[in-house]
Amino acid sequence: MTETSDLLQVDHLAISFAHPRPAVNDISLSIVEGEVLALVGESGSGKSMTARAVLGLLPPGARASGSIRFRGEEVLGLPEDQLARLRGRRIAMVFQEPQTALNPVRTVGWQIREVLRAHGRISAAAARKRAVELLEEVEIPEPERRIGHYPHQLSGGQKQRVVLALALANEPELLLADEPTTALDVTVQAEILALLRRIRDRTGTSILLITHNMGVVAEIADRVVVLRQGDVVETGTTREVFGAPQHAYTRQLLDSVLSLPAAGDFVHPVPAPEPPQEAPALRFDSVFVEYGSSRRGRAFPAVQGVSLDVAPGEVLGLVGESGSGKTTLGRLAAGLVPLAGGSVHVHGEDLFSSSPARRRELGRDLAFVHQDPEASLDPRMSVGASIREPLDIHRVGTPASRRARVAELLEAVRLPADVARRRPRELSGGQRQRIAMARALVLGPQLMIADEPTSALDVSVQADVLALFGELQQQFGFACIFISHDLAVVNSVADRVAVLRNGELVESGPVAQVFGSPSHPYTQRLLAAVPAAEPKEPKEPRPAHLAS
Amino acid sequence: MLSYLLRRVPSALGVLFVASFLIFLMLRLIPGDPVDALAGQDATDESRQAIREELGLDEPFWSQYLSWIGGLFRLDLGQSYRIGGSVRELLANGALNTVVLAVTALLIAVTLALVTSLVAVIRDSRWLNAMLAGLNTLGLALPTFASGLLLVLLFAVVFPLLPSGGTPPDGYLARPDITVQYLLLPAICLALPVWAGLTRFLTESLRSQMRQPYVTTARAAGVSRRRLVIRHALPNALPSTVTVLGIQVGTLLGGAVLVEQIFTWPGLGSLIESAISGRDYPVVQVLLLLSVAVFVITQLLTDVLQAWLDPRIRIGGAR
Repeated sequence: MTETSDLLQVDHLAISFAHPRPAVNDISLSIVEGEVLALVGESGSGKSMTARAVLGLLPPGARASGSIRFRGEEVLGLPEDQLARLRGRRIAMVFQEPQTALNPVRTVGWQIREVLRAHGRISAAAARKRAVELLEEVEIPEPERRIGHYPHQLSGGQKQRVVLALALANEPELLLADEPTTALDVTVQAEILALLRRIRDRTGTSILLITHNMGVVAEIADRVVVLRQGDVVETGTTREVFGAPQHAYTRQLLDSVLSLPAAGDFVHPVPAPEPPQEAPALRFDSVFVEYGSSRRGRAFPAVQGVSLDVAPGEVLGLVGESGSGKTTLGRLAAGLVPLAGGSVHVHGEDLFSSSPARRRELGRDLAFVHQDPEASLDPRMSVGASIREPLDIHRVGTPASRRARVAELLEAVRLPADVARRRPRELSGGQRQRIAMARALVLGPQLMIADEPTSALDVSVQADVLALFGELQQQFGFACIFISHDLAVVNSVADRVAVLRNGELVESGPVAQVFGSPSHPYTQRLLAAVPAAEPKEPKEPRPAHLAS
Repeated sequence: MLSYLLRRVPSALGVLFVASFLIFLMLRLIPGDPVDALAGQDATDESRQAIREELGLDEPFWSQYLSWIGGLFRLDLGQSYRIGGSVRELLANGALNTVVLAVTALLIAVTLALVTSLVAVIRDSRWLNAMLAGLNTLGLALPTFASGLLLVLLFAVVFPLLPSGGTPPDGYLARPDITVQYLLLPAICLALPVWAGLTRFLTESLRSQMRQPYVTTARAAGVSRRRLVIRHALPNALPSTVTVLGIQVGTLLGGAVLVEQIFTWPGLGSLIESAISGRDYPVVQVLLLLSVAVFVITQLLTDVLQAWLDPRIRIGGAR
């Protein structure tokens, strides 16, 4: 293990906190020059903490022991001023959320200049020139114009490119990338991954890539370290780990990756569900939604002329990238956004021309499950009270019958009854999302709108929650609009799927048909961008021309 | 920016109009008659009637209001009933003193708040934070009359370094060093609660900015803590602080009335006190309208300043 050519060597790293929380037990790993090492694991595995420990960026109260050597020199426990010289110049870091990783009140150019200035004097003109160069390097169009822009004027993908430019500004030898593509759309993710690979090939920078996504690992990593609850479970080249996983946990991780039907899987048309005799649970008739004030001529079309039906008991998957209007469409079904044109019918009734009282009644038949269970459950309310709240609001039954209903639903989502007394904070993400589902089902809805219900969850937890969702849907028979950016998730739960892009309906049909033989080029592009969880071609663990 | 300001002006003028009417109405609803106060107890009905006619108080309510407003437009603020002389002259004398005092206090409060908050967040040491929290609570909790008397006792009586009251005898510009001596105690006394409130808000705001991911990004790039606080966190903390400062101007004006009494500072504070007790309608209503105007202008300025400080408002969401 102790080769001298190791760029970074972590030995028996342990991180602990005064209060119990996910920590690092015993992690050892090493990175050689020019290598992309993937650190894979679910939340609480300690992958982010390990990376932060390298730069001395652990949260206050954390204690780290063991050893982290960079080019043979110990960096763990270095004083702040020496760490500052290391940070950004020799080891740089990229974070997950580009929306918040940039200073909102400073221009892109200022932020790049600031990073350059942190490691030595540089004239304004030279800094500007270098900033333009860097933006070119991360492939942002019109760099001269962009350096004068503020972060809010850039798209999510462009922001992540700027974050990458900040990290690359001082030509670091090692790049720590903490979930750099998780918050991005699949097509943008594919571009950023390709960019990372090109940067590695061009500059020889080693990359420690932290991710939970096996597809991303297969796409870019030379070697893989699998973590679980603060321990290393398995280490190997990407081909070894994917081809012949040694540890049961690695196999479980790989198995819980949802797959898409391969192109051409769709041979014979699946018998489409019977054309519904009864009124559809939900019908969008060429609906339009606009944001912003049309009076000032600044209206922004969010949904444009979408027509869709959801049959009773059917699950319709809505897929699309950010800004495609999928969430807006979901909120429209609940009457939460104003309609600019067309009509929305719920069980054959025109939602937007009903009286307010009738709309409230229709609202009882409708349930919402949000993406982030942490934010959608009131932290001050017990779980039981959260589930019971809709019953209390609509004054359904007696207090005793309400409590019985809560117990019944907790059982349906397979949680023990004593969970009702606990607070959301005491539960895991998966458990919280089960609670959110129980709450959605408490009034016996006819239609559920699930907006990215599993996006905040780990893959193994996601698989469980999706299975549970399928069962609940069978059992309760509600129709559902299932919104997701993850095509594989939609593939596993939906009967039909509708692909949205820029507020317009691109394509819709049975899942197997749309994903198996997509007819629209955009759907094809979307499917192609999803990284498959298998390494594509044999990769040199270390590019020969860069070995030094 | 200018068009934003111009868009806001009509509603600001509207507020002033409504306020002028309410002030006018309110004064006439308060029990007590200015004629009683002027004529004295033994006055005959004839002499009372004469006074009433002379002051125009026998005219209907609306015509009194309109003639007052009309006068305001011609910068004719009317004659004082009781103190004597034109309201404009009375105001001009006091306003200069009050403005000098308030502006000095505001500058002291803002400068000190910036320095203490920045030092506290950059140093981030436990004892410093504890000490600041204590001073803060003291500054907020101590009533102005107590802190004022304490300052006088300490710096004018026990250690006779500074004058205990009054304005500089030769005006503000003749001898700047003497002006500072006279101004220091009342201005500090007035600044104290504003400093405390502002420091508390700014420190907390800076701390929460320091927890934002963009700060971590800059830190991971090797930017020093001092720069992180001053160049990264501060510009983000300023817009909301400006709003708080705008609200604090109210505290400042209210405090000025008291501080002027304690330090025998001949400003508008003592004027308003004698005008109200003497039912001197013309003086009171102009003073009240003036304080509303100060508020409206402050709000306008804070909104504009906030928009200017935050590019998300200044430039908008255009991609």
